[in-house]
Amino acid sequence: MTARPLVSVFSLTGDKTGEVTLPMVMTSPLRPDLIQFVHTNMNKNKRQAYAVNIHASKKVVAQSWGTGRAVARIPRVGGGGTSRSGQGAFGNMCRGGRMYNPSKTWRRWTRKTNLKQKQQAVASALAASAVPSLVMARGHLIDQVPELPLVLENALEESTTKTSAAKTILQAVGALADVEKAAESKQIRCGKGKMRNRRYTLRRGPLVIYKSKEGGVEQAFRNLPGVELCCVDRLNLLQLAPGGHMGRFILWSQAAVEALDKMYGSEVGQKRLPVSCLTNADIARIINSDEVQSIVKPVKPGQFDFAPKRNAVKNTDALEVLDPYAAAKRRQQAELEAARATKKDELRLKKREERQARRAQHKEEGQAFFAKVSAQGDVCADGFKIE
Amino acid sequence: MKTPESVLKKEATQAKVAADKAAAEKAAEEKAVADTEKFKENSEKYDKEYEAEVRGAIENRRKAKASGGFYVPPEPKLALVIRIRGTIGVSPKAKKVMQLFRLRQLHNATFVKLNEATIRMLRLIEPYVTYGYPTRATVQKLIYKRGFGKLNKQRIPIADNTIVEKGLGEHGICCTADLVHEIYTVGPNFKQANNFLWPFKLSSPKGGFSRKTKLLHYLEGGEAGARAEEINKLVKRML
Repeated sequence: MTARPLVSVFSLTGDKTGEVTLPMVMTSPLRPDLIQFVHTNMNKNKRQAYAVNIHASKKVVAQSWGTGRAVARIPRVGGGGTSRSGQGAFGNMCRGGRMYNPSKTWRRWTRKTNLKQKQQAVASALAASAVPSLVMARGHLIDQVPELPLVLENALEESTTKTSAAKTILQAVGALADVEKAAESKQIRCGKGKMRNRRYTLRRGPLVIYKSKEGGVEQAFRNLPGVELCCVDRLNLLQLAPGGHMGRFILWSQAAVEALDKMYGSEVGQKRLPVSCLTNADIARIINSDEVQSIVKPVKPGQFDFAPKRNAVKNTDALEVLDPYAAAKRRQQAELEAARATKKDELRLKKREERQARRAQHKEEGQAFFAKVSAQGDVCADGFKIE
Repeated sequence: MKTPESVLKKEATQAKVAADKAAAEKAAEEKAVADTEKFKENSEKYDKEYEAEVRGAIENRRKAKASGGFYVPPEPKLALVIRIRGTIGVSPKAKKVMQLFRLRQLHNATFVKLNEATIRMLRLIEPYVTYGYPTRATVQKLIYKRGFGKLNKQRIPIADNTIVEKGLGEHGICCTADLVHEIYTVGPNFKQANNFLWPFKLSSPKGGFSRKTKLLHYLEGGEAGARAEEINKLVKRML
């Protein structure tokens, strides 16, 4: 990471006035998982305790009636003269009873996170803020912004005191779209939050990071909807990655950017710079490199699909595959059978014709005899004589 | 712009792979053609052998009759054993023997080489099986219709001679005709050939078993035990 790119510094009117080297932090590895983890923990730290009254439902003298009285065994309010007497008490299922597992104020509301994790998360979030695609993905409108990270000259924090001036600066630098988006998004919150002093919700706009607030930069920018301010010495992950999503749109002052390089480093008193576990992230190139390909085994031939079984006893084509000689023999036999069969058919037909001819002949002869004998008359008159 | 080195390298390796594959395919094709010729020759040779055997037996019988003597055909070397009783309540010895014969399921059938030892084993499992001497046609039909080979411990259908070659190529048995011949004539590699064949899974016999009860010995009107040549009729109904 020796040659780092230069980042342009813009004047308050939007023209490039100088350059600054990209701080080391902004080349940190991007760790969305770590940021989400640290953010969930940090987000719990500003919580106020809530609990039910410790005496809730306890101000009753109630005892179970026991068995034998045709009622459930829940403790019941004693005494008489009021509808409350005899009613169930103390259970979470009873009306006016204590809730299940009453909430306590000594619930663990805050979370500790390891310092290293917190520092790495902030470094990662800063790195993400320098990637335009991530910032856009988070939802900021940065189409008109000339460069990310967006660094403005020191006059931003030294001589900006009026909000109108702040607005023109944002306009000149192309950041006003994001602010307007936040302004338009102001809605009454849904849910009970609106009656609990959280009436409106708003999108987050740009985050302005400065080195010193002596010049009045806070007063200038704080009233613009969605704009947040942060001193570079006290970077807050909850602002750098709102909702656990990295890529906040940040407006830096030159002094702040230069301070980052002094804040992060390996000397005593400096914040840790996270180290990536990958030095070369081009996985495709690694896989296709000679070093890897030379020892990689060849591609496996894959599943061998065996041919489906066909019955070679019945199917001669199947037999052909297994035993072509036997198949040829079988086909030959079949042809002979067929030939024999046709010959047999011929013979049969011939015999039938002969039989039919004979039958016809017999019938004729019979009819002729009958006619002759009928003409004769009584055949048995003289002892059966046919003329 | 020059093409990147990595692209060139990848193209080169892919071309080599394709060339190798094409060469392998061509070699396989040529081998298949050569094999078909060889298998045809083998099959014809075996056919003649079987015919000669049948003719020889007939001639011997005639000669013996003519000279007033007797022709004693050689003792059978091959038996087909079919399991006809299920797995519940089998005595331990019989269970073990049937496991050794690979008859673990009802209507499973295997070929068994007949020698002193195996004959004694068959005696132990007589009430659970029926066995006899299969004809060449029976052996053939069993392998054609119900033949599965054991490849890599898997039960693969013998739909192609390549299956037989894969399983038994090193013993010189490359096609189905070779396999049938080895089994029927109980050749020197019978053990390997028989073990390559997965136990046949036959259907229940069409027309049913004996009307009396199949549990009795065949000689008593049942189905169990030795039944010599009659096994072929049963197999025809169970195939």
